[in-house]
Amino acid sequence: MTALLEAEGIAKHYPVRQGLIRAKTIGTVRAVDGVSFSVRKGETLALVGESGCGKSTTARLVLRLIEPSAGHVRFEGVDITTLDRAALRAFRRRAQIVFQDPYASLNPRLTVAETLREPLEVHGIGDGRSRKARVEELLSLVGLAPYHAARYGHEFSGGQRQRIGIARALAAGPDLVVCDEPVSALDVSIQAQVVNLLRDLQRRLGLAYLFIAHDLAVVKHVADRVAVMYLGRIVEVAEKNELFRNPRHPYTRALLAAIPHPDPTRRGRIVPLGGDLPSPLNPPSGCRFRTRCPFAQEICAKEDPPLEDGVACHFRDELPPAGLDFSGGLAPNAARRLALFAEAGRRQGTL
Amino acid sequence: MTPLLEIEGLRTVFRTSAGEVPAVDGVSLSVERGKTLGIVGESGCGKSVLSLSIMRLVAHPGRIAAGSVQLEGKDLTTLSPSAMRDLRGRDIAMIFQEPMTSLNPVHTVGFQVTEGVRAHEPGLSAAELRARGIEALRRVRIPSPERRFDEYPHQLSGGMRQRVMIAMALAGQPKLLIADEPTTALDVTVQAQILDLLRELQAETGMAVILITHDLGVVAEMADDVAVMYAGKVVEHTDARRLFEDPQHPYTLGLLGSIPRLDEEREDLLAIRGTVPPPFALPPGCRFAPRCPFAINACNEAQPPLLPIAEGHGAACIRAPVEKALAA
Repeated sequence: MTALLEAEGIAKHYPVRQGLIRAKTIGTVRAVDGVSFSVRKGETLALVGESGCGKSTTARLVLRLIEPSAGHVRFEGVDITTLDRAALRAFRRRAQIVFQDPYASLNPRLTVAETLREPLEVHGIGDGRSRKARVEELLSLVGLAPYHAARYGHEFSGGQRQRIGIARALAAGPDLVVCDEPVSALDVSIQAQVVNLLRDLQRRLGLAYLFIAHDLAVVKHVADRVAVMYLGRIVEVAEKNELFRNPRHPYTRALLAAIPHPDPTRRGRIVPLGGDLPSPLNPPSGCRFRTRCPFAQEICAKEDPPLEDGVACHFRDELPPAGLDFSGGLAPNAARRLALFAEAGRRQGTL
Repeated sequence: MTPLLEIEGLRTVFRTSAGEVPAVDGVSLSVERGKTLGIVGESGCGKSVLSLSIMRLVAHPGRIAAGSVQLEGKDLTTLSPSAMRDLRGRDIAMIFQEPMTSLNPVHTVGFQVTEGVRAHEPGLSAAELRARGIEALRRVRIPSPERRFDEYPHQLSGGMRQRVMIAMALAGQPKLLIADEPTTALDVTVQAQILDLLRELQAETGMAVILITHDLGVVAEMADDVAVMYAGKVVEHTDARRLFEDPQHPYTLGLLGSIPRLDEEREDLLAIRGTVPPPFALPPGCRFAPRCPFAINACNEAQPPLLPIAEGHGAACIRAPVEKALAA
């Protein structure tokens, strides 16, 4: 199957300047530095990594919200990095974004109806009457009521605001939605509502998601494939179950080993990753993870390992097994009562 | 032996245009020496106001309206402001979620780390202060503490800043450390470093810890006892093992069901419907009843007290255990 979205060697470099009048460039922050991946129609590709790995910059690059320093982004085979304004607008009708912070991403001076109508007007979709109907349809799609249309953003809770943000992204009928940490600012019970909503919408509308996240448990729940980023590069990409069953890059392993499980019988098994993230202004030579990697050898400082066979590591075939145990799950009593909870909720028709 | 800290019927209210509303409403908890009490709940459950109430740092228009907070038999709610000031940092210390906003950007790390020592032990020389500060940084495993002592907070990473905060908190050798979401703003690999550090320091010093968090993984990793809070009340209270093996309160079940897990495949997450009620519009009966799939009419009539389900396990639910209630 052909890819809906294809990123090829995309990069974003920010010059660092010093001085006021004759500012001189004294270095370059390589926020994203040669990243390639593809998203197929209807699938979810998760981009995961910690602060500063470049995942949010990547999200903005593929929508051309910021201009890439290098590389190409193709949408259905068309290179969007060279599109003129009109063509770019047509592209954005098909590719939208949901932001992390539902408090900052809604215009406080617009009602919900105005917020949802705006993309329809921008793209010249429908007339007054059909737009009104579309707004109502969008509200019901994300689980809000018709009377919410007349309200302003501040009248809603965080979870409801994120629903509005999702409705806005869906307004023009996109095929791809970039979700930039869409649930990280929400409480856990609300997070679950929004995650379920996103999955439900994907099934109903056949959406493809580029899902940016730092929470690997959420990623395991929503993604089809996962790409792990570190310091501006993808270090591993794999089908989801494969990645969790057999993480191959030492950084992927370190990420997974650091997560505390909601299970006190497994206490004391988290393994911290040593050291600090190096500065993207001055990344290590060779493999960027080598300064924190327990398996690093001489070659790692000399040669930058390419992403081959889904892993960017010189020793990808020689590492010992990861030895991570993801068996377990809910305790029997908890699982039984949770089933009752879900059952009772379904009977009330409220979940 | 009496517990180190004993909270009895604590009620903290805020004056608003809608009258006085409770943020913490009749909370009773205790913390043993050297142990960790985890307090879990979502935004608005009162967990942070609870910790500020223990420290007597609730700012106007909030106030402690009822109850007591006994530290080794001394009631903190009636201490004079100056006695309370002496006690803060020396007996109880606190760290917060945002290590950047909790540090003063215009002072060096060293100046801030030695602030407590300067306040509690005036008359130390500059060289002695520097030695104490460097020692404090070394204790929280900050590499090259001599250099870091003279740096400013912006020169440190998030994890290093939280280490500095912990160093400041531990400078007075407190008996109790209150950690309010200490790792929420940190990346997961850094979180693991900080949790590891807290555990080591607790073993070294024998201090007790109140760990406030929304993350059930962090609770499972760190806590001896756990209190689950909802809308200002403790709804379930037991040891960590039992909380996960035998969760009783429907809200606890809801929390466990809403988190995706690495060790389980689930088609849909169990979302709790609705949202937490604001403190000015609390339901008359059980505060969780409007969101609870097991609720019956009686749940809306009276607030359920926290009653023992078993030895050392309390739940504030008239429907617990739910399988019995449903079978009846």
